[in-house]
Amino acid sequence: MSAAKIPLPKVLAIDDSELIHRLLRVRLQHEQIELHGTTDAVEGLAMARRLMPDVILLDIEMRSMDGFAVLQALKDDIDLQDIPVIFISATASMEDRVRALDMGAVDFVAKPFEVVELKARVRSALRVQHLVKMLAQKAQVDGLTGLWNRTYFDRRLSQEVAQAVRHRRGLSLVMCDVDGFKRLNDECGHPFGDLVLERLSKILLSGRTSDVPCRYGGEEFGIILPNTHGSEAMEVADRYRRAIELEQWPGPTGRTITASFGVADIHALDGLQSIEELVGAADAALYRAKLNGRNRVESAHADRPAR
Amino acid sequence: MTQDAQAVRSEFADDPDMSGIVELFVSELPDRVGAMNAALAAGQLEQLRVLAHQLKGAAGGYGFPRLGEAAALIDQGVKDACDINVIRSRMGMLSAFAARVRP
Repeated sequence: MSAAKIPLPKVLAIDDSELIHRLLRVRLQHEQIELHGTTDAVEGLAMARRLMPDVILLDIEMRSMDGFAVLQALKDDIDLQDIPVIFISATASMEDRVRALDMGAVDFVAKPFEVVELKARVRSALRVQHLVKMLAQKAQVDGLTGLWNRTYFDRRLSQEVAQAVRHRRGLSLVMCDVDGFKRLNDECGHPFGDLVLERLSKILLSGRTSDVPCRYGGEEFGIILPNTHGSEAMEVADRYRRAIELEQWPGPTGRTITASFGVADIHALDGLQSIEELVGAADAALYRAKLNGRNRVESAHADRPAR
Repeated sequence: MTQDAQAVRSEFADDPDMSGIVELFVSELPDRVGAMNAALAAGQLEQLRVLAHQLKGAAGGYGFPRLGEAAALIDQGVKDACDINVIRSRMGMLSAFAARVRP
C-alpha cells in the first residue's frame, strides 16, 4: 500500500503523426516523466488500459478513430475516466476547443505548440492528477489501521466476485471479529482498544500478498482471498487466528487477545445473487464461531443440508 | 549560390537537442512532398489533405513555421472544396518552398 520508490508519472501521447512523437520525445526528454506513444487511436486505448497513464496527450484528427471518439471511450471506462486528457491539435477551431473541454478534456494546446507552454500544461495536469489520486486513495484507506476501508471492501469484493464467476476461479471471504472487544475497551481504555486494532491489522497485512484485508467496521475485519477455495481459506484464517493468539501485549503478563473467524467460499454458495449474500454467509459462520466458544474458525458450508 | 542564398533554415538550428530530428525531418521532406504531389496527381484529395494536415501541425515544431503555413493553406483548400487549380497552385508553392529547406 505504501510505495517505497515513487515511479515517474506516465504520459501517453496518441497522435497519428510520427513527426509529432519524435518532437515530443526530444522536447519532453528533460521532464521527470515516462513518455509512451502510439500513432494508432485504437492501440492508444489499449495502451491506456495497460499503462494507466497519469496524463494523455491526444490528437483530434486521426484515421482509425478521431480524438473525440477516443475521449468518449476514455470517459465511458470507469478505470480510465479520471485520467486527464490534453488535446493537442492543429485543428484549432473554437468549436473544437469548446467541445473537447465540455467532454471532459482538461486542456487544449494548438499545434504547432510552444515547447515551454506544452511543458507547463503537462506539469499542471500532472499536479492536479497527483492530488486526485491522493484524495481517491485517502478516501479508501482506514485512518486508524491503514487497512482498506469499507468503501474499498465493497467495491473490491464486487470486482473479485465478477472475475471469479467469469473466469471460474476460486474466491473466499473471511470475516474476523475481535473477541470481547467491548469489555477490553471498558477495562483497559480506548487507547488500548486502538492498539489492539492496529496490531491485528499488522498481523492481517503480514499474510499472503494476494490477501486483501479491510476494516469492515468497528472491530470487524473482512479479508478477501482471491484464487482461494474454502478449505485453503480455512487454513489461512486459522494461521491468522493463531498469530493473533500468540501476540504479546503490554500490561499484565499472560494476557491473550483472540479473534473469531467465519469463512465463505463463493463456489460453495448456490446461485450467489449479491455480495451481501456472501458477506452474510461469512458473517453467519463468524457468529457460530462466537457461539461455539470464540477463538475459532468456522465455515459457512459445514452445516449445508446434504440434499 | 542562388540556392544557398535562398535557403530556409530551422529556427532551432542552434539547439543541440533538436539537431538530430531536424536533420531527419529535412531529409524526409522530399518524400513527404513527393507523396503529396502524387496524391494530388492521382486525385486522392483526402489523402493529400491528411498529409498536409500532419505537416501543418509538425513543421512549426521543427522550426519551419512558414512551411506549416503553406501546408495549412492546402489542408484548408481541400476542406473548403476549392477549385483544383487553386489546390495545384498552393501545392506548387509548398513544393518550391520545401526545396529551399535546410537543417
